[in-house]
Amino acid sequence: MEMENFEEKLTQMTKPEVTNLKHQDMLANAITKAKDKSVNSWWWLSIPLYLIVTLLMKTIFMPQTTLRLNIHDFTSREIYSSILFFIVLPILFIVINFISIRNIYFLSGSQKSISFLRASWFNVLMIIFSILILIIYSL
Amino acid sequence: MTEIDLLNRIKNNPDDFSELFKLYYKPIFGYILRRTGNFDDTADIASDTFIKAFRHINNFSYKGISVKVWLYRIATNEVNMYFRHKQKHNSVFEKADFENKSLFNNFLHDDKRELEMELQKHDQFLQVLNGLKTLPIKYQEVISLRYFEGKDNREIVEILNINEGTLKSLLSRGLEKLRKKCNQI
Repeated sequence: MEMENFEEKLTQMTKPEVTNLKHQDMLANAITKAKDKSVNSWWWLSIPLYLIVTLLMKTIFMPQTTLRLNIHDFTSREIYSSILFFIVLPILFIVINFISIRNIYFLSGSQKSISFLRASWFNVLMIIFSILILIIYSL
Repeated sequence: MTEIDLLNRIKNNPDDFSELFKLYYKPIFGYILRRTGNFDDTADIASDTFIKAFRHINNFSYKGISVKVWLYRIATNEVNMYFRHKQKHNSVFEKADFENKSLFNNFLHDDKRELEMELQKHDQFLQVLNGLKTLPIKYQEVISLRYFEGKDNREIVEILNINEGTLKSLLSRGLEKLRKKCNQI
């Protein structure tokens, strides 16, 4: 078949049409009623951030101590909590947010960089905070 | 009501997303059906498309592209992922919270029966679609948007976020490959 004929055939052939979808309204209702079950919340990161700020304040107001000493002190007293809040949670957040950014990238279909940043700034911020907590803890 | 008004309304009240759903679910469903040729996969991909749109509607800024183009873009990405990985979609229909699940299943069953009959009426289309599915995805998306959806160059360029030169070259090479495939059938 010649190319022009083929193009014409593609244009003119009949295609299946969707005229009526009975399930549409119920699906719309189910989607709009669905609550966001994201675990990506400031609250989770606020715990290690709060602890860091407390230790920083202690360092500032008690000049005979250092941040490193205070963290070490806290770690020896609360070994499991410190591992959970200063290592497990930040690493988990880095992974979750990287996956989230990847999803936004897929969704945006290689948008212009500013639009992409606008859509993913929260995730980037979460990653930065998580890395900061890991760095402070490893001091 | 303009798209911007609708977007603002959705930002203030997420329930208004159903308005967007009413406007675009059918055309998007049709687009996915004409790419996959399969009702079950289409229903899963279309619902995933709208769930993603619902979750990210606040990140969508009305700059340059319309909501319709954005939805086509999400649907195209979803269909491409389906073709690339033959990804099994976790059907939203099993997880979603429907007020009357049996009624919903009946509706879905009716739609399936009706659309499968509709697909069977277009034998020539199904033959071309089978040939098209054997081509790389980059050709599938441009040919489908141009010849199945009737989109012009400007719309396709916006949906796929490519430049016009690339589109023309993909269309011409894709058509040649598809023509050869169809001649073999």
